[in-house]
Amino acid sequence: MNTRTNEIKDRIKRLLASYLETSNHPELEAHGEITGETNLVSDFTLDSFQVMEFMMELEESFDVMIDMNSLSNTHTVNDLAVIIEKELAD
Amino acid sequence: MGLLDKFEAARAIREQLSVGGHDPTAVVIEQIISPTEGIVEGRHTILAGTNNYLGLTFDPACIAAARNAIQSQGTGTTGSRMANGSFSAHAALEQELAGFFHVDHGMVFSTGYAANLGTLAALLNQGDAVLLDADAHASLYDGCQMSGADIFRFRHNDVESLEKRLQRLGDRAQDCLIVTEGLYSVMGDCAPLVEIVALKEKYGALLLVDEAHSLGVYGDTGCGVAQAQGVMDRVDFIVGTFSKSLGAMGGFCVSKHPELDLVRYLSRPFIFTASSSPSIIASTHEALKQIRSRPELRETLWRNAGRLFEGFNDLGFETGPEVSPVVAVKLGAKEVALPFWNQLLEKGVYTNLMVPPASPDQHSYIRCSVSAAHTEEQVEQIIEAFASLKGLTQADA
Repeated sequence: MNTRTNEIKDRIKRLLASYLETSNHPELEAHGEITGETNLVSDFTLDSFQVMEFMMELEESFDVMIDMNSLSNTHTVNDLAVIIEKELAD
Repeated sequence: MGLLDKFEAARAIREQLSVGGHDPTAVVIEQIISPTEGIVEGRHTILAGTNNYLGLTFDPACIAAARNAIQSQGTGTTGSRMANGSFSAHAALEQELAGFFHVDHGMVFSTGYAANLGTLAALLNQGDAVLLDADAHASLYDGCQMSGADIFRFRHNDVESLEKRLQRLGDRAQDCLIVTEGLYSVMGDCAPLVEIVALKEKYGALLLVDEAHSLGVYGDTGCGVAQAQGVMDRVDFIVGTFSKSLGAMGGFCVSKHPELDLVRYLSRPFIFTASSSPSIIASTHEALKQIRSRPELRETLWRNAGRLFEGFNDLGFETGPEVSPVVAVKLGAKEVALPFWNQLLEKGVYTNLMVPPASPDQHSYIRCSVSAAHTEEQVEQIIEAFASLKGLTQADA
């Protein structure tokens, strides 16, 4: 795994932690460290609205656009990193 | 996991929603008395959540038109227009709608949902880009998804967010479609269409506006928010429904682009659906006439909306940003909103409850839709019912 991928993942993890904190998700503490395998929905009970809101924050932070169609098979931090890396490369 | 196991989650949601005694998604109006009154659980109830903005469901002329159509043309069409033929009334209503919006092309669908699905699925193809307001109705999302186009959302009513995405699209911006609503149905806020139209022209994009909740309500002749903001002739496609101000059921798309007449050949939700029954077409035709000839309906509606908005604000409730026929009250946690909604119903006021994720943020809302048919007394009764429950919100604070 290259440095760029790791940087993207780390940034997603930080953004996710910050989003969970501001959107009142206390389960972050119980979950512990966010990893590449962390699942946005099953680990943190993010509802569909919150997932979409978080996507918007990722778009703005990375200055990319995420096609909503690409989200149907996106569940984890690793999945998101793949999408964002691809968008940054385009 | 078995095929039916997924319904356990839905069962749990239903149980949570019903904890206050009534399921807000399953209210039965046992008897409809008028556009604004019904019997619910044996109680006389003010209907303040039915989108019946002009009260035309009981308009004598609309009822007479529907009755005459049933007698002369029968109860249904028994098929789709492409396969089984159109009635002349369908074609006439398409022309009527086009004329109403001052364009040359119109198309009628069997529901508002089908109008959005069918128009977007035909307009967009795989490889196209669509920019969609984040708070757009599910039917707009579904239409975009059905098309296979790349879907990018911009922040709700945020012109800067939209422009940023147009810039990111680069050359693709000139072939993209921007999709917004005129009046948003949760908070009752309007799209900044003047700015959005300017952007679509700057980047060479096309614009589709859904006037479902604004038809008959906004604009000099009731065409909607685009007319009210003076940009209707610069919008490419306007979609809407017959099921709100027009008091029936169905949907439409109108456009200045002749290609709209070809949408029907590419639109599965149009091709593979039975066409609207003659009574629906007839009452819709009459309702359009009423909108044109009775501007006083809009005046009464706006007076009622202004009073309800003012009444809620005087009580200290947090409402949407502007007066509109959709008046939403922010109630915060679901645990407050559910009993609030239940007690309103028990006091004889039917409203709409919206809880996350169906609401546009993490808060719960109770939404009232105002009608021209509400009497001043009914509006005051709604305000009094809210006032009597103010304590529930204070307990939360």
